[in-house]
Amino acid sequence: MIERYLHHVRVELPGPEETAATARLRLADKFPRTALRRMTHLGLLIGSALDGVALTPEDAMVFASTFAETRALEDFLATFPAASPLLFQTSIHPGSVQQVLIGRQQPVGRLWPLAGRTRLVEQALLTALLEPAPRVALVGGEERGTWMLEHNVASTTSFACAALLTREPAGAAGRVAFSPGPIADAACPTLEDFTHALAERRPLSWLGAGGAWTLEWS
Amino acid sequence: MNTPADQLPAGIEACDCLTPLGDATATADALLAGRRALALAPVLGRDGGDLVPLALTGPMDETLPPRWLPGLHRLAAGIPPAPWGSARFPVIVTSSNFGVGSLYAFTRDHDAQHLVHGTPYASVELLRAGLGWGGHVHIFSHACVTAHLGLAHAARLLHAGLAERVLVFSFDFVSPFVAGGFHSLKILNSALPAPYARRETGSIGLGDGAAFAVLTRAAAPFQLRAHALYNEMFHFTANQPDAGGFAACAAAIAAAAGGRRVWIKGHGTGTLDAGRLEAEVFARQFPGAPLTGWKGSLGHTLGSCGLVELAVALAALRGPGSGKKIPGTVGGVAPCFTDTVALAPFASAGFDGAILTSNAFGGAHAAMLLTHD
Repeated sequence: MIERYLHHVRVELPGPEETAATARLRLADKFPRTALRRMTHLGLLIGSALDGVALTPEDAMVFASTFAETRALEDFLATFPAASPLLFQTSIHPGSVQQVLIGRQQPVGRLWPLAGRTRLVEQALLTALLEPAPRVALVGGEERGTWMLEHNVASTTSFACAALLTREPAGAAGRVAFSPGPIADAACPTLEDFTHALAERRPLSWLGAGGAWTLEWS
Repeated sequence: MNTPADQLPAGIEACDCLTPLGDATATADALLAGRRALALAPVLGRDGGDLVPLALTGPMDETLPPRWLPGLHRLAAGIPPAPWGSARFPVIVTSSNFGVGSLYAFTRDHDAQHLVHGTPYASVELLRAGLGWGGHVHIFSHACVTAHLGLAHAARLLHAGLAERVLVFSFDFVSPFVAGGFHSLKILNSALPAPYARRETGSIGLGDGAAFAVLTRAAAPFQLRAHALYNEMFHFTANQPDAGGFAACAAAIAAAAGGRRVWIKGHGTGTLDAGRLEAEVFARQFPGAPLTGWKGSLGHTLGSCGLVELAVALAALRGPGSGKKIPGTVGGVAPCFTDTVALAPFASAGFDGAILTSNAFGGAHAAMLLTHD
């Protein structure tokens, strides 16, 4: 069995009316002013979920997002034929976590950005469990699309989650464990469902990646 | 400050690539002959724009089905058979752009069929379904170091006993989306790249590229012995001026390399600041080790470059006869940033390893140690 303990579990679940502009007002005190004005909705939500976590270069980060920098993609495409350099930079996965970490001038040893869908949560957790760094920041999220959403190629909601995974049980809010075995796959929680489970401290269990997964709370 | 390199050796059971110059063997041969795949072409494809250096496998404008799909199927035909995509035989797909060219095509043509392949997951799903892979397909996307992440994660899966073999598959094809983006940054301009050259203006080229590797814990003539990764988070498009990020990654892979005599396949896109920092740091960390780079011919194949260039390195090392040669820095010209830059091909004899590096936006650094019997 491979396990890690969850510390600093935090989610951002804004209402459907929130935009990047209104999130910028709501979360202004969490970011350097110079960084704030250029941050995307997803960057703001991830930064807020990570607020209070002081990472070091010895730490690692795992970032899960199916659609990632949706609004920057949409806006960048609208700038052609005079493509915007700023929107190009921002549109590139994992731009949203880079907005946060560059704003903090916070290097990290290893950053693992994943972009799957049906087994994204499982793959992100597996990546985090195999990471030897003493502390792994597990981050995920999406931002609501506009015209891409109309074509079902963007998230319907904006949300973000963050948890710090360590080997230290003392003071942990929860625990995630993977027990390898000859087990058939079953449905894996979606990233949004996983985020709600973190918010509600709701246990989860499922089968996949050749083993059994459990998320449990203290 | 340094994060140690992963030292989880993995055997390379199979590896090949697709570039505009052909497969890995043909590409290595062309590089040894000093051929450039890059040619000046309109930055926005059929929509025109400035002429910029692009190395393309065909017209850049996106098609239905996507233009990259047939080439990837041809490449995949060389993958050794296995129940790929099952839990014990996972696939790791790495790219920076995936099918993003289809999003640009939609904004131009307003044909919603393009959108079906526009997101990373959807483009990989198209590939997965066509190649008959199961559902255990991990997708990594960390710009131009992505292939390194896939290879490093594969080694972790193998050493954790969670996989028998791992297929790492990487692709990135140029589109107006990405060419227009790099052009907006002014670094994709009308000049052909000259990696590591000390000149007035920097320039890069972009190229189509795809590759795969099958990694195993079993013994193999070639092994990936170590992976080092580091993320500066100093600036989106610039490195720390003190070269701290390059130094951190180089020190970590040097510790893993021990006393091996290595040559270095650098990132070497043709930018000035990053090229200088890279050449100087590796000259200090590996005194006398030749530094070569192939993006002056192939262009920067973005998220696939780490695996494409690994396949080329392997093909060169497997070359015919005893006088195996490593391609020099095609497109490079003197004076160079350091005297370690190899402008001409050099013999692989006498080396017992190679360091292969890539860099990406956000000051991301990656290096891997390739060894052979």
